[in-house]
Amino acid sequence: QVTMNVGVAHSEVNPNTRIMNSRGIWLTYALGVGMLHIVLLSIPFFSVPVVWTLTNVIHNLGMYVFLHAVKGTPFETPDQGKARLLTHWEQLDYGVQFTSSRKFFTISPIIIYFLASFYTKYDPTHCFINTASLLSVLIPKLPQLHGVRIFGINKY
Amino acid sequence: MGVEQGGSSPLGPGGAPSLKGPGKHLLKPYLGTWRIILPGTPGVLPSVCLTLPPHQEVSSDGAPGAYPSKNKRTHLPTVWELESGAGVGRSFRGERKGGPWTFEERPGVKVVSAGKHCVLCGIVNKSEVYKDVLSEFVPLYQDFENFYTRNLYMRIRDSWNRPICSVPGAKFDILERVSYDYNWTFKYTGRIVNDVINMGSYNYLGFAENSGVCADAAAEITLKYGVGVCSTRREIGNLDKHEELEKLAAKFLGVDAAMAFGMGFATNSMNIPALVGKGCLILSDELNHASLVLGARLSGATIRVFKHNNMQSLEKLLKDAIVHGQPRTHRPWKKILILVEGIYSMEGSIVHLPDIVSLKKKYKAYLYLDEAHSIGALGPTGRGVVEYFGLDPRDVDIMMGTFTKSFGAAGGYIGGTKELVDYLRTHSHSAVYATSMSPPVVEQIIASMKCIMGEDGTTLGQERVQQLAENTRYFRRKLQEMGFIIYGNDDSPVVPMMLYMPAKIGAFGREMLKRNIGVVVVGFPATPIIESRARFCVSAAHTKEMLDTALNVINEVGDLLQLKYSRHRLVPLLDRPFDETTYEENED
Repeated sequence: QVTMNVGVAHSEVNPNTRIMNSRGIWLTYALGVGMLHIVLLSIPFFSVPVVWTLTNVIHNLGMYVFLHAVKGTPFETPDQGKARLLTHWEQLDYGVQFTSSRKFFTISPIIIYFLASFYTKYDPTHCFINTASLLSVLIPKLPQLHGVRIFGINKY
Repeated sequence: MGVEQGGSSPLGPGGAPSLKGPGKHLLKPYLGTWRIILPGTPGVLPSVCLTLPPHQEVSSDGAPGAYPSKNKRTHLPTVWELESGAGVGRSFRGERKGGPWTFEERPGVKVVSAGKHCVLCGIVNKSEVYKDVLSEFVPLYQDFENFYTRNLYMRIRDSWNRPICSVPGAKFDILERVSYDYNWTFKYTGRIVNDVINMGSYNYLGFAENSGVCADAAAEITLKYGVGVCSTRREIGNLDKHEELEKLAAKFLGVDAAMAFGMGFATNSMNIPALVGKGCLILSDELNHASLVLGARLSGATIRVFKHNNMQSLEKLLKDAIVHGQPRTHRPWKKILILVEGIYSMEGSIVHLPDIVSLKKKYKAYLYLDEAHSIGALGPTGRGVVEYFGLDPRDVDIMMGTFTKSFGAAGGYIGGTKELVDYLRTHSHSAVYATSMSPPVVEQIIASMKCIMGEDGTTLGQERVQQLAENTRYFRRKLQEMGFIIYGNDDSPVVPMMLYMPAKIGAFGREMLKRNIGVVVVGFPATPIIESRARFCVSAAHTKEMLDTALNVINEVGDLLQLKYSRHRLVPLLDRPFDETTYEENED
């Protein structure tokens, strides 16, 4: 297959594949989550358990949308549309599983879940919400679900 | 977004209703004869547009597919809505309910929550309904893919493709343009900005001029030979001028023979496939130019990429290749070709040629050196990176270069042994199918090459080469002293200055133009998204006064935009004499 990388000064066909490996992005992500948490904590009528559950849910929702729902790239790539039907998670590292970015982004919602469970004192309602949210963001990351679209949702 | 009936449709009577909202064209096959209006999303760069621009009844340009007028901001959906597919979900719900939806401006909070809701609706509904339609067609253009272009590139694109009305020498004249709709369209004010200092053109030795020896020679040859050749080299397009050029180029480079081609890009992309094929291995640098990448991919060889200018990475790849052979069969590779450039145009770094030559000899690989930017610009007599390092040109198997940068012409060449060049004359795609170089261009190259070599009887060429070296050193040194982060080797005339932030790309370009300096700024996708830069190209045609003016302006703009990121401060050489308290050149 032939691709024209015209106008670019590097041989990378799809920059989305290596953006999560670039310098400073893990830190930016962690700080972003921290900022979200601080903003939620500043809202006076949320108690601490509610804030932690909200952080967890909003983080997982954002992660689901950006990594597992939105497909393709926000810029044109010279790969003739190979990545158009792939979510960002599937594009990472050209589909190679268990790279360090993938491991990082799998572990970070789990850490947030542990913290949320602790701070909500394992209350059943909060636990249910947090667990459901965590599953929604962990299951799409399984290698068995690479490229899988359940019931045809989000296929095209 | 809504379903409107009849009369206000600008495409004439018939009363066919039209839908508004992004993504509506997806509903088109479903809705039969209904026409669709797509507000906000521009008609897009190709003229294929299944939709009409919004509110066409009030805009003056009647052509469908024109960019929508951006004056009316009330009806434009926010970026969030577009990208979240808000329109799709919303209209679909509208369809189900049967009532009209109005598309008015909506407060931010509602947009966000509505958007999220619509994403989920859109996701569920889109697939069920459009499965049959979408599985047969590949969409011609996708809203999401031009997200970057529409939202970032368009806003700063007045820094690129500026029309000029003089030769791009050391100073040039620019046509002034303004835009009243955030760079979607430009209007010329009619004013010409004169004598803008040109820090962007690849004019290393200053041969981009329209008067002088080279220009006169080219003009004379145009009268004698005509403007074009209209045939390929292998048919009847081989002129004596071409042969003269090739002999001269071979002499210039110090190789046995050379062949010239009409385009620098085509030299790479057409000749690498002639040299390597399936079963060969290409080791190419990470930051190689698009022409090298295309040539490598066209050839069908296996490509492995090593880290930029990193000899350990290259050696590891070589060792693995030789030890393991081809991927599944483990047979030895037919050829191993190392593709590198002399000077990398986005980094300004010079290849570590001595290391590569020793590696190539040790592992018996071939070396393809692309001297697009370094020929004429490096080395004591301008013979390129091979002379800069003091190596033997015969060590480099294939010396490729272009005539575009230092010689003020166009085209490329490949130099090497006579067998190589004879093989290329018969087997290269350019030789068989591409038109040969046009005579005035050939004469320009011959004249400028003779000037550089000193064969025209003057020392002008040598002076130019030295002037370039001095200018380069001076310019780089001053920029580093001022505190900017500059990439690249101290001797390379390509000077990338880091900007990092996307907003500063546009700001830097505009501020420099306001102060009469023309610069090239580069952003994504040519560079990684956080490493945008301004790239200066030093020329032998720049006098010290011009460089000083430029440096003062860059200093001023750098303070204004806070671009002085460097944490190492070089002690200015002349101001502080070397005494017992300064031992380091860098003082943090």
